[in-house]
Amino acid sequence: MAEYQSFIGLEIHIQLLTATKVFCGCRNRFGDEPNTNVCPVCLGYPGVLPAVNEQALLFSYMVARALNCDLSKTAYFDRKNYFYPDMTKNYQISQFHSPIGRNGWIEYETGGELKKVRIHDVHLEEDAGKSIHRGTATLLDYNRAGTSLLEIVTEPDMETGEDAEAFIQNFRRLVRYLGVCDGNMEEGSLRCDGNISINLKGKGLGTKTEVKNVNSSRFLKLSMNHEIGRQKRALEKGERIVQETRLWNEAQSRTEPMRTKESAHDYRYFPEPDMPPFRPSPAFIADVDARLVELPVYRKRRYEAEYGISGDQVQFLTEEKPVADFFESTVTAGADPLQAAAWICTDIQKNLNKLQIGLEESSLTSLRLAALINLVKEGVINRKKAELTLSLMLEEDKDPDVIVREQGWEQISDSGAIEALVTEVLQANPKAVDQIRGGDMKPMGFLTGQVMKLSKGQADPKLVQAVISGKLGS
Amino acid sequence: MSVDPWKGILKDTQRHSAYLRYFEEWEARIGSFLEYRLSQDDPSDSGRLPLGGVPFGVKDNIAVEGYHCTCGSKILKDFTSPYSATAVNRLKAAGAVPVGKCNLDEFGMGSSTDNSALKKTHNPWDVSRVAGGSSGGSAAAVAAGLVPFALGSDTGGSVRQPAAFCGVYGLKPTYGAVSRYGLVAYASSLEVVGVLADTVDTARRVFDVIKGQDELDQSSALYPGLSRDRGGNPGAAPPAASTARIAVVEGLEGLSPEVEETYRSSIDFYKAAGCEIQPVSLPSLDYAVAAYYTIATAEASANLARYTGIRYGYRDTGAVTMEEMVRSSRTKGFGDEVKLRILLGTYVLRSGFQDQYYGRAQKIRTAIRNDFDRVFAAADLLLMPVFPVQAFPHGDTSLDQFQQKLADKFTVAANLAGIPALSFPTAPRNGLPVGMQLLGPVFSEQRLFAAAEIHEKSLGGIPRPHGFRSV
Repeated sequence: MAEYQSFIGLEIHIQLLTATKVFCGCRNRFGDEPNTNVCPVCLGYPGVLPAVNEQALLFSYMVARALNCDLSKTAYFDRKNYFYPDMTKNYQISQFHSPIGRNGWIEYETGGELKKVRIHDVHLEEDAGKSIHRGTATLLDYNRAGTSLLEIVTEPDMETGEDAEAFIQNFRRLVRYLGVCDGNMEEGSLRCDGNISINLKGKGLGTKTEVKNVNSSRFLKLSMNHEIGRQKRALEKGERIVQETRLWNEAQSRTEPMRTKESAHDYRYFPEPDMPPFRPSPAFIADVDARLVELPVYRKRRYEAEYGISGDQVQFLTEEKPVADFFESTVTAGADPLQAAAWICTDIQKNLNKLQIGLEESSLTSLRLAALINLVKEGVINRKKAELTLSLMLEEDKDPDVIVREQGWEQISDSGAIEALVTEVLQANPKAVDQIRGGDMKPMGFLTGQVMKLSKGQADPKLVQAVISGKLGS
Repeated sequence: MSVDPWKGILKDTQRHSAYLRYFEEWEARIGSFLEYRLSQDDPSDSGRLPLGGVPFGVKDNIAVEGYHCTCGSKILKDFTSPYSATAVNRLKAAGAVPVGKCNLDEFGMGSSTDNSALKKTHNPWDVSRVAGGSSGGSAAAVAAGLVPFALGSDTGGSVRQPAAFCGVYGLKPTYGAVSRYGLVAYASSLEVVGVLADTVDTARRVFDVIKGQDELDQSSALYPGLSRDRGGNPGAAPPAASTARIAVVEGLEGLSPEVEETYRSSIDFYKAAGCEIQPVSLPSLDYAVAAYYTIATAEASANLARYTGIRYGYRDTGAVTMEEMVRSSRTKGFGDEVKLRILLGTYVLRSGFQDQYYGRAQKIRTAIRNDFDRVFAAADLLLMPVFPVQAFPHGDTSLDQFQQKLADKFTVAANLAGIPALSFPTAPRNGLPVGMQLLGPVFSEQRLFAAAEIHEKSLGGIPRPHGFRSV
């Protein structure tokens, strides 16, 4: 079999988290009663005019900047003409001639390796409403009509479904870190179409197909790999690839030609005369820059290199920006990074799950966590008591030292007190004592446990072991 | 003369009934309104407001909440606007009362108002003739003295040409000087809300109320000198209107003898008044109509795509599928001229043809702007005829639709360049008005008013049609 090369490019749409729609003052909210967040402007009534939302421009420039694009100095809108009942004006206000960003690139990580994808352009447009088919009738909900949609078009720089999956996961984290999109693929606030072609190695791009209806990163991987296989088999049989739009069939795990007859569209783009070009001021650009953050992929790699955190832990810590921020401020507050990572990834998560709240809603602060970690480090409490302390911190909204004091959980580190406890235990367990004296160290753990039990868990276990060893001369 | 005598005409029972009688007699003859309500409700409680209780008409492609907004089209015949245009709201805030919606060529497409699908409007000077268009209803209503002013819209001459046909003042403001919010779009980059008025003073006072930036229209501009003007002297004329440098165009072709004579006598008038006359050439003018129709139809093809019968307006209920319903509603709802322009606009925007048509038209547009810049570098104003002929008879076969478009040559240039222009009436010839226009650089409206006022004073009373009565 000949050697093939595959080329995958993505067209990604993200719904921006603006308070209002992109060209009118209607609320931008998912899930409301149909046709309640509408006005003459987004319904395309006669005589209305669009007025662009500054927040949408700000978010768009942030994404374009994060994707290392050349930022447009005069961004303007174009009208994209086609009839569609979801679209109230029968033209979509989009960008064609002078989009917000162009010629960008972004690195993403897959299997620990950084790969680069070039960005063709980033452009702002309005979303359409939704058609709801009920029997023979079609109902229209225009709540989504006119909400801000940002389209990101990549160059065909990915090769496999795994690449595409990793890219979209990295991209999703990126927009969530920027706070411009919630990245929910199931609800459609992040949508992705895949363009894919294959060719004999070294022969450049082949004839591409476009795959739609991919609403998770896993389906993106599966659909791209399926398409690579299908196109290969077709070429092997000497067939030609038809340039077409295909749909991912989730149930059958395969792509299929789109059933609806799609006529060749001529969108007749021309500049939108209702809004002047947007020329970002230096202050605007400064604002954009001030809102940029260290991107998740670099943060992850930094934690690995700087702190030696790896595997699931580093993945978990950097998945959501608030968690990563919490981790870093805990470290800044004086906690050991590895301890902080361990607490955040396991104990804290367990407690939050139990309380069914998120980290930000909880009463836990990074200062309190650092204090807790240091209580253990300084030997004031042991790890077991620290876990109980954490639960109470979350439940009672108190500092760890207050809880430890209230509960009387301070570790017994006074060797005199421990010696008394050890003596008591040794007297009660002569068999074990004999064993150890006879050179069999096995009962050591048992004896230590008994002392801990007697101290109600407050004895410093290391000290206990030392005292036992001393007494038994082992 | 000004709008002041009109104040309170709706409130005072005696004046109201006389007004109503006068209005309805005229209206029966000329058909200038598609809808009117001369109720005695004068919401403004004082004459202190600049236009307190003054009635006005609104072209029916400008939204007034609670009134229809038909655009003279079958497709919007039963449509009622849920909101008001910014210009209308500003007039209401100044105390003026919208009393009705004026007839027009369908969606503003035409020069006679005969393209209205809903009503025939006649010229008050001679009811066998057209009132001009597309703001024909607005012009006829003002000419007959039914209202002291009416709002119109000017995309390629639609305020100035009917003003010239009916013998009233017609202001096409600088693009962006008046908010377009609420003006039903035909050609967005060309059109403005304009004023048809009985005197220069009325036009000026109305313009002062409606001008200025509007956050609902991002193509609207902060009007320069607004804070200075607000001090109660809105009509402050430039110091030496009578010594202005006025450019005039040499070698204009295709003018009727009446229009040509009036152009010459108007030049003579300003010369005698002390102005410096500067003959200029405007070579790009010959391409203006072609550029205008390319750009206007391109924009119209998108602007009129929203009329499908899905959410509002005429819907053909016989259709089964959605596509059929849209196609058939548009087929039955739009008139021929509208369809022609949508098709033309669709054609010029096709991919692969844009450079040849739309792109070229934009280049001509730039050339026209440059021509005007050159003229206004040396002159304060430019004087031109409005239209090559006087009001023509209904169904006149001497000017077909294509020739009517060519005749837009003198008006479309101001729209392509975005500059202001004021059409003013001169002494009638053969019993019909003749209009001339003054053009100036952007935001020079006050200069236009001042120069037109000198001429107005010289008329010794603006000529009015037979049967006209002042309030």
